[in-house]
Amino acid sequence: MIMFDEATILSLAPPSLVVLLALGLIIFDMARPGRHGALTVLGSLGLAAIMAVTLVIGPVNVIGIIQDRAGYEAFDGAYVRDALTAFLDLLLLGVALLTILVGPDYLRPRGLPAAEFAAMLLFAISGAMLIAGARDLILLFLALELLVLPGYLLAGYAKRDGLATEGAIKYFLLGSFSSAIFLFGLVLVFGFAGTTRIPDVAQSLLGTAGLAAVPAGLLMGLALLTTGAAFKIAAVPFHYWTPDAYQGSPTPVTGYLSVGPKVAAFALILRLFVEALGDFKADWTPFVVVLAVLTMSLGNLVALTQDNVKRMLAYSSIAHTGYIMVGLAVFGAAAIGSVAEQAGLEALLFYAFAYAGMNLGAFAVVAALQRRPGVTSQISSFAGLGRRSPLLAVLMTLFLLSLLGIPPLAGFLAKWYVIQAALQVGGWLNVVAVITVVNAMVGAFYYLRVAVYIWMREPVEGAPPVEVGAATRVGLVLAAVVTLFIWLPGVSATFFAIAAEAASVLIAGS
Amino acid sequence: MNDLPWLTIVTFLPLLGAILIAFIPRPQVRLVRGVALGTALLTFIVSLLLLLEFDINATGFQYREEVDWIPAFGIQYKLGIDGMSLALVVLTTTLTWISILASFAPIRDRVKEYMISFLLLEVGMIGVFVALDLFLFYIFWELVLVPMYLIIGVWGGANRIYATIKFVLYTLVGSLLMLVAILGMAFTYQAATGSWVGSFDYETLRGFGFDPTLQMLAFIGFFLAFAIKVPMFPFHTWLPDAHVEAPTAGSVILAGVLLKLGGYGLIRFNVPLFPDAAQAVAPLIIVLSLIGIVYGAIVALVQPDLKKLVAYSSVSHMGFVTLGIFIFTEQGLQGALLQMIAHGIITGALFLLVGVIYERTHDRTIAKMGGLAAVMPVYAAVFGYFVLASLALPGLAGFVGEFLVLVGAFEYWPPVAAIAALAMMLGAAYLLWMYQRVIFGEVSDFLRGLGHHLRDMDRTEALTLAPLVVMTLAFGLFPGLLLNLFTLPVNDFLASVGGGIVIGGR
Repeated sequence: MIMFDEATILSLAPPSLVVLLALGLIIFDMARPGRHGALTVLGSLGLAAIMAVTLVIGPVNVIGIIQDRAGYEAFDGAYVRDALTAFLDLLLLGVALLTILVGPDYLRPRGLPAAEFAAMLLFAISGAMLIAGARDLILLFLALELLVLPGYLLAGYAKRDGLATEGAIKYFLLGSFSSAIFLFGLVLVFGFAGTTRIPDVAQSLLGTAGLAAVPAGLLMGLALLTTGAAFKIAAVPFHYWTPDAYQGSPTPVTGYLSVGPKVAAFALILRLFVEALGDFKADWTPFVVVLAVLTMSLGNLVALTQDNVKRMLAYSSIAHTGYIMVGLAVFGAAAIGSVAEQAGLEALLFYAFAYAGMNLGAFAVVAALQRRPGVTSQISSFAGLGRRSPLLAVLMTLFLLSLLGIPPLAGFLAKWYVIQAALQVGGWLNVVAVITVVNAMVGAFYYLRVAVYIWMREPVEGAPPVEVGAATRVGLVLAAVVTLFIWLPGVSATFFAIAAEAASVLIAGS
Repeated sequence: MNDLPWLTIVTFLPLLGAILIAFIPRPQVRLVRGVALGTALLTFIVSLLLLLEFDINATGFQYREEVDWIPAFGIQYKLGIDGMSLALVVLTTTLTWISILASFAPIRDRVKEYMISFLLLEVGMIGVFVALDLFLFYIFWELVLVPMYLIIGVWGGANRIYATIKFVLYTLVGSLLMLVAILGMAFTYQAATGSWVGSFDYETLRGFGFDPTLQMLAFIGFFLAFAIKVPMFPFHTWLPDAHVEAPTAGSVILAGVLLKLGGYGLIRFNVPLFPDAAQAVAPLIIVLSLIGIVYGAIVALVQPDLKKLVAYSSVSHMGFVTLGIFIFTEQGLQGALLQMIAHGIITGALFLLVGVIYERTHDRTIAKMGGLAAVMPVYAAVFGYFVLASLALPGLAGFVGEFLVLVGAFEYWPPVAAIAALAMMLGAAYLLWMYQRVIFGEVSDFLRGLGHHLRDMDRTEALTLAPLVVMTLAFGLFPGLLLNLFTLPVNDFLASVGGGIVIGGR
């Protein structure tokens, strides 16, 4: 018998509200079909309200709406709402908000239904939010599936488009494959720990952690979990599904896919690898370091040769995954109890936040440009954008410069955070830090190439004018504000503090 | 007047102008130009006001501003100037308004975007000279890159995209490694003191003796960034491309200020922060400087293109700057600083002059020119004046700097001075030979074909060059005007590498 006491209700309120909002949107669409504008307004206002609720429930003590709250537990500790959950929930809700604002303007001219799009997106986000607070292996897996299943549908949303179907099938096949691998890993860990509760897993494995030899079965479980997680974040060499899935999907979906599931997968990694298996970090860290270096280098090198901006951004998102993984590697390589441990996780969280803003922004510009059906995402579509639509041109340049890491934009602060965390550990991570900046340099080439088309090429003869819908405009402005103004004195300090509070949860727990 | 944050005002005034321009409707080109020039002039005047209250006898930095920015990492918004940065700030503000004025006629397309880029560029350039927090410095340093990238890439010549990408990639290679060096230094400081406070503060770090390995690594990180910007041989290959493709005003700023950012960085950061590493590497850098001086001059000798010739002469002249810095003598450094200012003025003027002829002929090939003295007498006279200044004619600004560097070099090791002096003769050769081919002799068929298009300089062009003419003469006859400003910074610099004097620290 589960008691629905106050803690349970409060802790589960944000994901439940998201599900309710999704259902509400479907009902609204049934009652008043075809009212895309009202639907977008309803969806985005609903999400903004849920964000406000999440902020109030917290616990985000550093902003001090309600002081000193450690967190809530639901279902006997299977789900927890602590500072980390709150941070990730807010981030994921923000991702959903931007996607819902940008989506309809792209879908409508193509005759794709907007209500189903919004509802599926919200279902996926609710799954992601459950991952963020999952303290139970079974809940973790179920939430993961709730996240990815709507994702497959969204990827194949434009079902009459061959590329979309191909991408969706690849995504689905490799995604379910990796889920199976991941589940197998969970089973092995459960077998050795004898429990599915994450704190108990940590506790019961603690006995073996001290030993020189970790049982082979547990190591195998770790390997399978690492593989499964690497698939979900699209780390090299488990990234093959991304370029096709990203290129084929409708552009707003691509934007979501490149951020939402990635943030959720990092949430899973934090809950599983850091919180539950943090004591085994000596065993998994070398793989994370190698994967991070491979991921950023290969992502960047392949992005160099792309002529399609969506595909280029897909590979660039692989590179950014690599940068985010450096934060994880820092946690892994840092001495237990050292300051650098937390710095690495802070860097990971802050990077995920900055990345969400600038990457969604870049995809929003591509989507806005493609509003008229038939406009491809080839780089040539960007020729002369500086003349055709100065607003989009300036914004796209801003997002590209931020992705490239030009100060003082969000992307720079994020890279700076990651690199300074890596240098705190020293040793091999100094080398990783240098590899990171060398990669950032390589990135300059392909990001600036788009800028060359925007500013330095003339528009193609007879290129249609670019119209940006009102909702897309709002989304673009939101993303631009995050990207452009985060360095302001009070703002950056606040965000750093929120990330630090979220990261401290994991350090105290392990 | 010290109550107001003067440095913030002078740094961000151009930003205000840029924002204002963004709201002016596109067709109002005259208004856009007017606001841009007005902002640049206002910034220039404010920078002159700084001179009023500046005390050349006070040690340390003046007009200081300190505000916490990211307290978690001890990052501050910290500004301050000494005589050296003040001179460079004034050079920047002077060349900016001249460049904007000089852009009125040549830039007819996308004037709004151009002026915004130019004013943002000024923000970055001034910011680099006034920032005393390494994080802040890095931000301004990178900020310079983006507008320059656009200026070359959008308003440049035929091969502009290649040139601008090359410029950006070269510069980024250096600056990103500098970022790692900055962070490495900050963390080492934090690890040693247990607190982030001051870990990005230039004045704190300057007195902190870093261990030799870190010094060497961080020195290399900083040095690459600055050497590429200067540019030193063998990192100079982006410069001729960028100069040839950039619009005239872009070239003026590139030669006049951007190259100085590199020299400034070496003097301000590289040597005082890592004195031991600097001592160890100095001989190598002196050799590279000498190669740059001679190589730049020889290559300039055979250039068929006027702009390329001036570009390579920059490589040669900037070689004197790095040479002057790394011989660690008083005369050498004073010469280097003077040379930076003089080169900014003279080469800026030479690029303006090349721009004048390019506006009329749409060509820069030396072989096609000839006999300009007959058709454009005023132009020929001004050109001659700056050619003489550039080859270091005594009495003009170019002479004092190079002479002082030579004196310092002689003190260091006479053969170094001998090689550098030899290169000065080469300088005279390529400049005078070029001048002879372009200005004297029969009017060439190409120029004759242009007929009445080949009119002499107009009033705007004369107005852009006039202040440079005056400054060249003034600093040539009274170098003390500048040297007084440099005395204390030079002493600080020498104290940091003197070995005998230890500033604070552990």
